[in-house]
Amino acid sequence: MIGKQILYLLVFPGLLFTCVLGLLIGWLDRKVSASFQFRVGPPIFQNFNDIFKLLGKEVILIKDTNITVFALAPIAAFSVMVFLSMSIGLVLFYGLGFGGDIIVMMYLFMFFSVAIIIGGSASGNVLSSLGAGREIKLLLADELAFILICLIPIIKSGYLLGLNEIVIAQSDGAFIGSISGFIGFLVGLLCIQAKMTLPPFHIPEAETELAEGPLMEYSGPLLALWKICQHMMWVIFPFFLIILFFGGFNLVGIGILWAILKYVLIIVLMIIIKNTNPRIQIDTALKFFWRYASPLALIGIILAVLGV
Amino acid sequence: MGTNELLLLVTIPVGIGLINIILPNILKKILTFGGLAYLLSLTIQLYSKANLSLSYKMIFALDQLSWLTVAFIQLLGLIILIYSLKSMDEVNERSYFVLFPLTLAFCNGAVLSANSIVLMIFWGLSGISLYLFGVMGRSESASQSARKTFLIVGGSDVFLILGFVLLRFINTNSGWALWNSEVSFNANFSYLAFFSILIAAFAKAGGFPLHTWVPDFSKDAPVEGVAFLPASLDKLLGIYLLARMVMSLFILHIYLQMMLLTLGALTVIFAVMMALLQHNGKKLLGYHAVSQVGYMIMGVGLGGMLAANGQVAAGGIIAFIGGLFHLLNNTIYKTSLFLIMGSVEKKAGTCDLDKLGGLGTKMPITFMFAMISALAISGIPPFNGFYSKWLIYQGIINVLKDLSVGFQIWGLLCLILAIFGSALTLASFMKFLHAIFLGKRQAIHNNITEAPTFQLIANGILAIICVIFGIVAIRIPIMKLINPVLNIKPEWSIAAPTLFGTYFPELFSFLVILPFILGLIVFLILIKKKRVRMDTNYIGGQEPVEKFRISGTGFYNEIRDMAPLKFFYMWADKKFFDIYDILRGISLFFAKLFKALHTGQLQFYCLWILIGMMVLLKIVK
Repeated sequence: MIGKQILYLLVFPGLLFTCVLGLLIGWLDRKVSASFQFRVGPPIFQNFNDIFKLLGKEVILIKDTNITVFALAPIAAFSVMVFLSMSIGLVLFYGLGFGGDIIVMMYLFMFFSVAIIIGGSASGNVLSSLGAGREIKLLLADELAFILICLIPIIKSGYLLGLNEIVIAQSDGAFIGSISGFIGFLVGLLCIQAKMTLPPFHIPEAETELAEGPLMEYSGPLLALWKICQHMMWVIFPFFLIILFFGGFNLVGIGILWAILKYVLIIVLMIIIKNTNPRIQIDTALKFFWRYASPLALIGIILAVLGV
Repeated sequence: MGTNELLLLVTIPVGIGLINIILPNILKKILTFGGLAYLLSLTIQLYSKANLSLSYKMIFALDQLSWLTVAFIQLLGLIILIYSLKSMDEVNERSYFVLFPLTLAFCNGAVLSANSIVLMIFWGLSGISLYLFGVMGRSESASQSARKTFLIVGGSDVFLILGFVLLRFINTNSGWALWNSEVSFNANFSYLAFFSILIAAFAKAGGFPLHTWVPDFSKDAPVEGVAFLPASLDKLLGIYLLARMVMSLFILHIYLQMMLLTLGALTVIFAVMMALLQHNGKKLLGYHAVSQVGYMIMGVGLGGMLAANGQVAAGGIIAFIGGLFHLLNNTIYKTSLFLIMGSVEKKAGTCDLDKLGGLGTKMPITFMFAMISALAISGIPPFNGFYSKWLIYQGIINVLKDLSVGFQIWGLLCLILAIFGSALTLASFMKFLHAIFLGKRQAIHNNITEAPTFQLIANGILAIICVIFGIVAIRIPIMKLINPVLNIKPEWSIAAPTLFGTYFPELFSFLVILPFILGLIVFLILIKKKRVRMDTNYIGGQEPVEKFRISGTGFYNEIRDMAPLKFFYMWADKKFFDIYDILRGISLFFAKLFKALHTGQLQFYCLWILIGMMVLLKIVK
């Protein structure tokens, strides 16, 4: 039993599968973004090369700072990401829900921000501290809307909490087919855009002003770990939305094609949003999520309670 | 049984307190420590006898709920005592070691009392000791904060007395007994009795809107006193009374339970919004001490909720268990956070967050404990705070299933506020950790050293409990400590729990630690092969000078400046929400009115006497 779980964790659908898929999707992202800007884009295995190169580089640590915390933060973030990828993948591919229910997932998604803030600001760099401040504000901005959209599938499934139960509840029609489900998906898409700090919400990293913010002082294998985490998110978050609103995967016959289509649809939407919007200010992001996205999601919740 | 153990739980600490007045310093500490250790072992022995009826049942009695509360009072008392063995100056130490055991005795007495008269006496006495801890503070506003505390907590005692007297007359059969009163809300004055006792419980625990003394008290009183009373013992007492009300004194109906849910959610969100912007570390923790009470009120208040079929709803029971578990968890991590703040304050000489920063390298062990407690209070799995919040949430969600549409939306709004409150708590503690331990250190703090051993031991015990209660949440705290409480109401223990959600803390911890170790090994192998270079910060080629330091207190200024919240914060600054200031304004108005009547001339006084006589005659007829 334990052996099987370790296999789930480290090979499929956990670490190995998610990393490979995430890095490939990263390539897709770069290729599509390049074609938006009339460039050629990198070859398919460029991301793998980048990661392996980083793993081989020397590590630069900062004198007179908390080196242990600085080094352990990316490893902790990485291990939580591996767990998340396993538990979400298990629901989609095996219909097993022992990883945790929606509330557990909601709280675990916050952990990446925690790790990035603690690790980044342990370096003592002023730009990292600024970035950490923005990271936590961005978390606050999108978290309210994210909580709201997570509640919509719970209500629509008759107050069930397990991810696998929510997939089963959608066996006669995915939630996105209803008005409340559609609102939830729309807001959810924006939320995960912010949770992954993709443009237009790449405010904490803001290359041009903060030079990667919290990640600024990271180098070598530690930076590679952060990058792997970010690539794994390209798999975890879209899969999460597929569970909540698209009714999961049905991996028989034509269902495989549908599954791929669902995933590619979300990825393409995200890449389009990413490439067509400039970076916004942090207070604009707060206002956007608290004044527009969250009330919209609240309407979605009320509609869901009314059964629409 | 020859002597009555319950009596010992009150008399021993009173005795220690009185002897401590004359003992020299070192003997005082040994005596207090020995006495408390004995009391803790005595309480543990009482575990299996929790439902025995002991002699003196007229005065003291023990059931599972009071055992749980008493056990945590002794445990936290002992831990805080270890901390304060070497933390105070001599002047405070003298009064502290007298007051500390006395307070413990009062709290034990209040929880163990079998009838409401004894409860009221000890309840009032514990309020007085709260005031005395308050005046031990050294800052200028200390006496003012202590007075405010005393007026709110002491004033609420009046309501407690009123409530119990009314209860005595509503339910004449049970007399003054605290058990099996079970008043339902069709008798006259039953609402008045309920709300009166509720006010007392809220004032003690710090529930909205009677919470305003907690942040001020936390800021000004010595940190040992803050960790001892508002952070742990007062929470235990207040929520104990609330749980007793829900379980034995009243039979709540759905509107009252939804009201408690709403008050809980408001407590969470109001306090945490204020905490976000604080610049004083102790005041920030004080606001969090309030906001955590909200979760307990939400959870405990839902206990005994009826399902559609008229049976006790399992969701309500789970929320109740979650509420009690959150109470235990909160006392642990909040005490730990206050004590850590105290350690930092004693080393750095300030708890102004703007002036601290970068202490993580100088106080690494304290930093580690602070991180554990901060993650626990923010509800990050696998720490204990997550498990209790998770229980409360799933209890609420399950209760809502059976309700009508209006109640569903109402309950969902409360749930959203609670979950979002937890994200805000996380944000607030990221600021707290950043401002104290992370970021760049100021040059004046370069000579700070790690906290003394006794303080580290106390904080270490608390941090270990945080982890243990999180990982084996079901096996030890839920099954051994909290589930027995349900035995007080047989129909509750029948409805009790099969969990609805999925979260296995042990499996989770294993599956997270495994990749963590794997990543660590890979990292260590990689850096062994390659050289590790040490370098200074790089800030675009500039010198890292002092004025570029980010302390973290300004993280949330954007939130303060946002349009609707701007007014909320402005009003809060003007103390529009502070019930103490509102009441003070009203009483000052009346004082002014009566002052105008005091003219100093005899004929006017005769006139007032005449008018008074006429009014009296009119009333009496």
